[in-house]
Amino acid sequence: MPDATFEQDAALFAPIERTGRAFYWTVGALLLLILWGAIAYWVQFDEGLGVTGLHQPVSWGFYVTNFVFFIGISHAGTLISAILRLSKAEWRRPITRMAEVITVMVLFIGAAQILVDLGRPDRMLNIIRYGRYQSPLLWDATSISAYLTASTLYLYLPLIPDVAILRDRPGKRRLLYTVLALGWRGTERQREVLNRAIAIMAVLVIPIAVSVHTVVSFVFSMTIQPMWHSTIFGPYFVAGAIFSGIAAIIVAMAIIRRVYHLQDYLKPIHFRYLGHLLLVMTLLWFYLTFAEYLTGFYGNEPEEMKVFWSKFTGPFWPFFWGMVLFNLVVPLACLVRLGRHAVGRTVTASVSVVIGMWLERFNIVVPTLSNPRLPFPEGQYWPTWIEGAETAGSFALFILFYVLFVKLFPIISIWEIREGRETGLKEVEERLLSYLPGRSAPAPPGVGGREGHERAPIRL
Amino acid sequence: MSELQSVSDRTVRAIQWGMGGAIVLFIGGIVIWILHLIRTAWRLTDVPSASIGISLVAIPVFLILLAVVLYVFWGLLGDRSAR
Repeated sequence: MPDATFEQDAALFAPIERTGRAFYWTVGALLLLILWGAIAYWVQFDEGLGVTGLHQPVSWGFYVTNFVFFIGISHAGTLISAILRLSKAEWRRPITRMAEVITVMVLFIGAAQILVDLGRPDRMLNIIRYGRYQSPLLWDATSISAYLTASTLYLYLPLIPDVAILRDRPGKRRLLYTVLALGWRGTERQREVLNRAIAIMAVLVIPIAVSVHTVVSFVFSMTIQPMWHSTIFGPYFVAGAIFSGIAAIIVAMAIIRRVYHLQDYLKPIHFRYLGHLLLVMTLLWFYLTFAEYLTGFYGNEPEEMKVFWSKFTGPFWPFFWGMVLFNLVVPLACLVRLGRHAVGRTVTASVSVVIGMWLERFNIVVPTLSNPRLPFPEGQYWPTWIEGAETAGSFALFILFYVLFVKLFPIISIWEIREGRETGLKEVEERLLSYLPGRSAPAPPGVGGREGHERAPIRL
Repeated sequence: MSELQSVSDRTVRAIQWGMGGAIVLFIGGIVIWILHLIRTAWRLTDVPSASIGISLVAIPVFLILLAVVLYVFWGLLGDRSAR
């Protein structure tokens, strides 16, 4: 007898249970790109960093740009998902999982960029043996480890009930699902444990996420290099990370919606709400960029001004004005009035922001190193095919991880959708009543005290 | 048949506890690594206060994550009513 709840959400199981020819073509194409990146890395490993465009004084180029970019994108998931979950935004339900997956995948890719940037990867062992906590680079290693652990846990915990659903259905990979379900039967005790753990993680992950990108900014701002030594670099990086993170979620949503025919779950309203957030972040990013450049300009320090003008009118002008175009002009044009084309406009703005934020990271890293404060000769940076291939390989690896995740696990949280259908409406009504003056809603079962409603756990 | 089932159950349970153990080892390893860096800084009198200062923030974060992992594994796998 067909399970009614399964029939209702059959579209969510389809990517796991059916494998079309397109899947193999996609994986094949991605593997080719990854192979290209691997060959490039092998050439670099064999011949040394001399085969790249990196040299003195520009010792950080595409790899560190990619590192900052990917770590920024990682804010997509955990931070945004945690904020939406804690604020009980009901429209979050189909979005949270795909955002959390982005976080975990890009953190792996981002951290790997540092290994690629090392001419001698074996020297990574020196960090483990002789690392010095005076260096912000080691703060980075520590905070990224914490974020990776926290976000993997935050992805896994809400996945457990869905894995149990897959375990109990006939199909392939039973052992994998049985192991990962951790004996989940949905008993009262298990629900209590999982609710509490998710609630703790949702609170914990927000400060960790903020600290990670602040610490990434410290790698630059703790030096006295021109246009890096800035006190607003922390918030500037965090704002940029949230900005690029929201854009990445929207792009992922649009692709998944189209490829897996999930229009019934990812509706224009979801794009509209995220579009509003993206608009806010566009303006915030512009303000912080303006403040950052204004303070440099106002100080008029010669070394700062050299970097300043190299971006505005010098050799880096295409990157700087490209950044302004993609991060400000296009998003504003698309998002100010969404009208009937909310999906198309939001996705266009998001693709633009993803490109613009990569340019922004490049604009931070390279122009300063090209015009160093110390009396080194100035230098330009021209990436070779090695950096191009490794960058393409890194993006392909991220997409491959994502595609494989969607093949193995539900990319939209099934239990959260079901919960929304079954109890969401009633809960929202009760919550709304409790917000209004002169009315009080009954406390949920098992929660006592006058403030019981505020203390209600996340319900599974 | 039931014996087979129980053997398979035992294997699954062993893998699950093994998974929990691996996570504990991973997080525990990071904490031990941080302590090793403090010890090295102390031994070389290489500004140990910096290492201690950073560790005061980092170690509790990892310990909380470890506590959450243990709580979930213990809570879910240890729930006999679910078997």
